This record gives sequence, C-alpha cells and structure tokens, in this order.
Amino acid sequence: MADNIYDAIVIGSGIAGGWAAKELAEKGLKVLMLERGRNIEHIKDYVNANKDPWVFEHRGERTREMINTHPVLKRDYPLNEKVLDMWVNDLESPYIEDKRFDWYRGYHLGGRSLLWGRQSYRWNKWDFEANGKEGIAVDWPIRYEDLAPWYSYVERFAGIQGSYEALEVLPDSEFLPAMEMNIVEKDLARNLKEKYKGSRHMFIGRSANITKPMPEQNRVNCQYRNKCWLGCPYGAYFSTQSSTLPAAKATGNLSLEVNKIVTRLLYDKDSKKATGVETLDAINNQTYEYKAKIIFVCASAFNSTWILMNTATDIWPDGLGSSSGELGHNVMDHHFRVGAGGSVEGYEEYIEYGRRSTGIYIPRFQNIYGDKRNYLRGYGYQGGAGRGRGVPVAEMLGAEFKDAQFKPGKWYMGITAFGEMLPYHENTIKLDKEKKDKWGLPVLRMDVELKENELNMRKDMMAEGKAMLEAMGVKDAYEYDWGYAPGMGIHEMGTARMGRDPKTSVLNGNNQVWDAPNVFVTDGACMTSASCVNPSLTYMAMTARAADFAVKELKKMNL
Amino acid sequence: MERREMLKLIALYTGAAMIGGEFLLAGCKAPTGEDITFSDKVKSLLNEVGETILPRTDTPGAKDADVAKVMEVVVRDCYWPEHQKVFVEGIRQIDEEAKGRFGKTFMEISPEQRKELLIALEEEAKKFNEKVEEKDKPVREKMDKESKGYDFIASPRHYYTMMKQLTMLAYFSSKECLTEAFEYIPVPGRYDGAYKIKPGDKLFSG
Repeated sequence: MADNIYDAIVIGSGIAGGWAAKELAEKGLKVLMLERGRNIEHIKDYVNANKDPWVFEHRGERTREMINTHPVLKRDYPLNEKVLDMWVNDLESPYIEDKRFDWYRGYHLGGRSLLWGRQSYRWNKWDFEANGKEGIAVDWPIRYEDLAPWYSYVERFAGIQGSYEALEVLPDSEFLPAMEMNIVEKDLARNLKEKYKGSRHMFIGRSANITKPMPEQNRVNCQYRNKCWLGCPYGAYFSTQSSTLPAAKATGNLSLEVNKIVTRLLYDKDSKKATGVETLDAINNQTYEYKAKIIFVCASAFNSTWILMNTATDIWPDGLGSSSGELGHNVMDHHFRVGAGGSVEGYEEYIEYGRRSTGIYIPRFQNIYGDKRNYLRGYGYQGGAGRGRGVPVAEMLGAEFKDAQFKPGKWYMGITAFGEMLPYHENTIKLDKEKKDKWGLPVLRMDVELKENELNMRKDMMAEGKAMLEAMGVKDAYEYDWGYAPGMGIHEMGTARMGRDPKTSVLNGNNQVWDAPNVFVTDGACMTSASCVNPSLTYMAMTARAADFAVKELKKMNL
Repeated sequence: MERREMLKLIALYTGAAMIGGEFLLAGCKAPTGEDITFSDKVKSLLNEVGETILPRTDTPGAKDADVAKVMEVVVRDCYWPEHQKVFVEGIRQIDEEAKGRFGKTFMEISPEQRKELLIALEEEAKKFNEKVEEKDKPVREKMDKESKGYDFIASPRHYYTMMKQLTMLAYFSSKECLTEAFEYIPVPGRYDGAYKIKPGDKLFSG
C-alpha cells in the first residue's frame, strides 16, 4: 500500500492476532498483519507432520546441543526433536528471572496457535463477578452476557468439539459432535456422578479439533493421529494457518509482513492516539514505519505489554498505559502439574483404536453452590484413561521379556488439576535497563510467584484428585505434585488489565487503552482475572468483540 | 508407540530414567561431548547385546532393527561426556566379563552364554544403580527445592543399563518393531474407545 498506510495494523499472528486480522479485513478494513518471526506456510511447512517415528534420527530424544541452546525450553516437555522449529530461539531472545519463570514462546507466523493444547472452554458468569464480589484486584468491566454471543460466533468458525452438559459452571459452546470417551472413561464418569450425587461431572475434553469436515475452510475432520503438534496436514485443529489467516486473505484486504519486530507504537500526544508502529526488520535490522487508524496489539500477553512499555516514553517514562500504575502488574498463569492416578481393573478385551487428541474434563466444583474451601476460586481436572503396554514377567531380558511387551497392559486413569491464580499487583514483568536481546532491544524481567491461596489450593487439588479416583473405583490410587513454576501453564495473562477506571486499569471494557483509544489489546494481557479454564477461546471471543466495536467506532468517526 | 509411554516403559524395565530422556533434563555448563563413531565390529557387538535382550521370535529382534546404529547416534549426540565415557568403556568391559566367565569374547560365546552373562550384569547393574541413585539423591533434592531440577544431570548408571535402555529405545521406535510386532496405523481416521480384541491380537502403533 502507498506510503505504508493502512486502516488497521494487527501486531502478532497467533490466536488473537489471527482473529483480529480476519474480523477487521472481513469488515472491509485494509489490514496489515505484522509477525516478528518467520513465515510458516500451512501444510507445506509442517515438515515433520507425515514422518514415521523411525525417521527421526534421535528417535525424539533431546540432543546436548538442543539442551544447551534452549535454556528455557529444556525445562519441560516443549523441547524435543520433532517440534523444535516451532519454538522460539531462547538464546536470541533472553529474559531475566528474578524468580524462576518459564516462558515458552512461538516466534513465527501463527505463533502458539500451531502448538496450543486446543482445549476450549467458556468462562462462566462467576468468573467475571468474582473479583468484584471478593474485593480482589479490580472488577471486570464486562460480564458473561457481554461475551456470550461472541463465544458463539467464534466457536462456529473455529470448530469446537464437545458434549452438551448444561452446567452453569462450564457453559456449553456451539459444539461439533463430541469425540467419544473410551469405555473405561464412560464407566468412571457414571460412577463419579453417582458417588457425588450429580454434583461432579466428567465428560470429553472440549477442544478445537473438528469432527466434521469444514469444506468452506478447506479443513478435513480429525484423523485421530494425535500429532497436532507437528502441524496438521488436514487442518483439523484450529490455528491461524488453518482457519483465520485464509479467511482474512480471502477478503483481499490483508497484507502480511513477517520478520518485523514491532519496537513501539507511534503516539501523537495532541490527538492522544497512536498513528502507527515502528518496526525492526529481524533479518536486515532496518527500521520501518507503518501508519494506521487503529492498532490491535496481539503480540502475546507479555510482548503486547512490552510494546506498550516502549511506547510514548517521552510522556510516560514507563510507557503507554502506565498512568494506571498497573502496566506490567498482575501476572497470572494456571498452576498445575498436581493430581492423581491409578489403575482400573477389568476391560481386558478392549483397547482403543485411533489416537484421540483430547482427554476428559472434570469442571470446577469448589467454592460454588455453598461449597467452601480454605482458598478462593477453584480448579478443574484434565486427564484420561488409557491402556498400558506390556505385562510383567519374571525375566528381565530375552524372548519371554520381549514378547511380554507386545501384550496389552492394565488400564490406568490419570488426572491433572489446572487452578486459578489470583492477580497480585506485585507479580510483575518490567523492562530491564541493561540486558538486550539479539536485536539490541531491552528484555523483560520476571518477578512472579504463587502465594498462599494457590498453595492451599494445590493441596486440595491433590487430595480431591485421589479421593475422587477412589470413589470412582480406580485402584492403587496415588497423588502427585510434580512442582510448578509460573509460566509452565503457557497461559500468561494480565499485565495490561481491563477495568472500569483509568486510574486502576490499562484497558477499558472494549479493550481500548485508556490513554490511546485507537489501540486495542485483546490477547492474554487484557485479562483481569484468570478463571481456571484454558484461556484461548476467551481471547478469540474478546478479539472478535473488540474488532466489531472498533469498526463501528471508526464508522462513527470516533477513532 | 507414544514417546512418553516408551520412555516410561524403558525406565520401568531398566530401573533408571532414560539418559538424555525427558526425565533427565538439561546441563548448565554446556559440555560439548565427543564426536563418537563406532566401528563395524563395535556395532556388531552392540547389536548382539541388543539381540540377547530383545531376540528375534515370531517378531523381529534387535539385530533386525539394527539398534546399534541408533545407539551410536544417541550416544554421540545426546549423552553427556561422562555418560559417553562409561558407555564406551562398557564396550570393552563386556568383553572382559565374557572372557572372565567363558574365556572368550562376547562375540565368540553362544547365545545361551550371552544370556547368562547379561542376567548376571542385570543383577550387578541393579545394585550399582541403587548406589548411584543414593549418591545423587541429595543433589537432586536440593536442585528440585531451588526450582532448578531441570539442571540436574544424573550420574552415569551401569554401562549395561545404558545398553539396555538404548536397545529398547531403538527397538521400540524402529520400523521393524512398529510395523511387524504392532499393526502400524499412521492415519486411523476414526476413534473407537471400546475396540474388542482377542488374546494374541496385535496392538496398534502409529
């Protein structure tokens, strides 16, 4: 476009950015999407998607080099041979940890939409009310009813499979046919309902895997390979590449630039609006500017805040949105890696055919309907039953030992709790003054920890998990807490929260920066509290809602 | 077979977390390791060790899957230098053990003798590994407590344990095993959570 002028700029191409680009372009705006990393072309660039397991040189193992060059990724499952090129280069983009913080990033087109767990849940009405009622942080400026139609809207397009349960605690989505629970899960779910007299529920994990073809999007239904992480050649799970990007491109209104790191927004103090963005080309280190009427900041929670922190520092030394005193504060994640497991007797004549890409879900039952715990909020469980391989024999090597490995083992059941983390003002990210990344840009400094509420909750997550499995009839039940460091949930939230008052929040109820109303932040940064359910579906709905608002305001000449 | 499941299985049957596997994370001092290659002779030996652990029955064995080739790559690229040293030394030691017991090298003794030898090593390794774990425990716990568990490197286990682990890793991810001992279904196309089987039916891989 002439002189790099657009109607709208979308920063970031992950789940939020993809939705922003699609919505704005479909509404007729000329949109520029900026991605800091490399291009990944749908299907063509999923280089490992169709490889057989024996083709991988290290058979999926981590090499010394991978470990040495990935000081963050190495800390948990994200580092492995098969998906290495779908994660950030830790050495190029360091950060400082005042306290341990695991930051798993996807710096490429599509961002973490290519690597996400695809679990998709609506928030419930209590999630939006809790802060206000309990006097925690600030009240959400919106309620469930504000988001409900937008949940429906994004669900119909993204494609969410799940079962209708009619529960207040976990509102139903607009579902595609549900994936099936296996025979053991079905029986355990029935036992759970009976034992807890209908107050606890277990059903198929709701996920953005399509169970019916969506030819209008060129997407084929899930083939039960459970290799989503390698990129799906069928487009069977929702990602920017499979879903929102093609739709945005089809309008003819989208321009896309990769390898462009947005270093700051250009801010005009007279009009109190952003006029565009400054970018640094990640390859040639050249600076480019792009202009637009509105800007959607969807760079992932911390990077969206990083951009605000680097913006208009001549007016506010700590950046755009810092006048609230809350920019960079109230970091949240979901704490997990705690739960229970055990074995299930019988079902010897059954195995699973196909590899299902979701598990089961047990929604929150704590602190609702008169239930009271020694902490606020709650947690839900994800997990599943499966059949092990191999039966024990006396020999530890030889023919008998080998052949025993090909026999079906016992059925087992395991659950992991995902808990809500409260927003604490003192859980922060800041710009570090000294350290720079590969491009000479300042890096973030993390200071985040769990507090008493979460630690009390973890004990309950473990104990309830075991008690519940035992009640369901699971044998040899054990409980575990593998330990959790903030960030491991890969659900970073907060740092530019929404609110009702510019003195205590960065964004208003329409995701507009109070100090620059033509700047919208709609990714995890905007979250005022965290709920205990996976957040991506809410980012989709929030983004679509904000885009609709933005275009209406533009038409009214308000922006 | 799922990678996680395979690693669990290997840990179960070797009594030690997989070296370089996801139970054993990280390194703080960035050791570079040796560029190790095994001669054909060494590869034959490792394949025979593997075949003794996972022999050909009505399904392919370790030798059919050429486990030594994967062993070489994993020891070269994934093992930390101190583990490499123990593994390489183990190649010599296993011959010493064979000579001590039967007066011949490992390659020269019969399959029955090889099995007898490895059963003895299995016992020896078990005791040895228990001691190593005992020694590692306080270090591991301290690092876990400091939330730095990912930088813990376990001390080398017995060389036999390494050979068994790598045999299992290589075999259970091999084409021979996954397509012949299992029914290989890369694209199942559907899900059935109550698929009926009869004793002796092949399980699925993909």
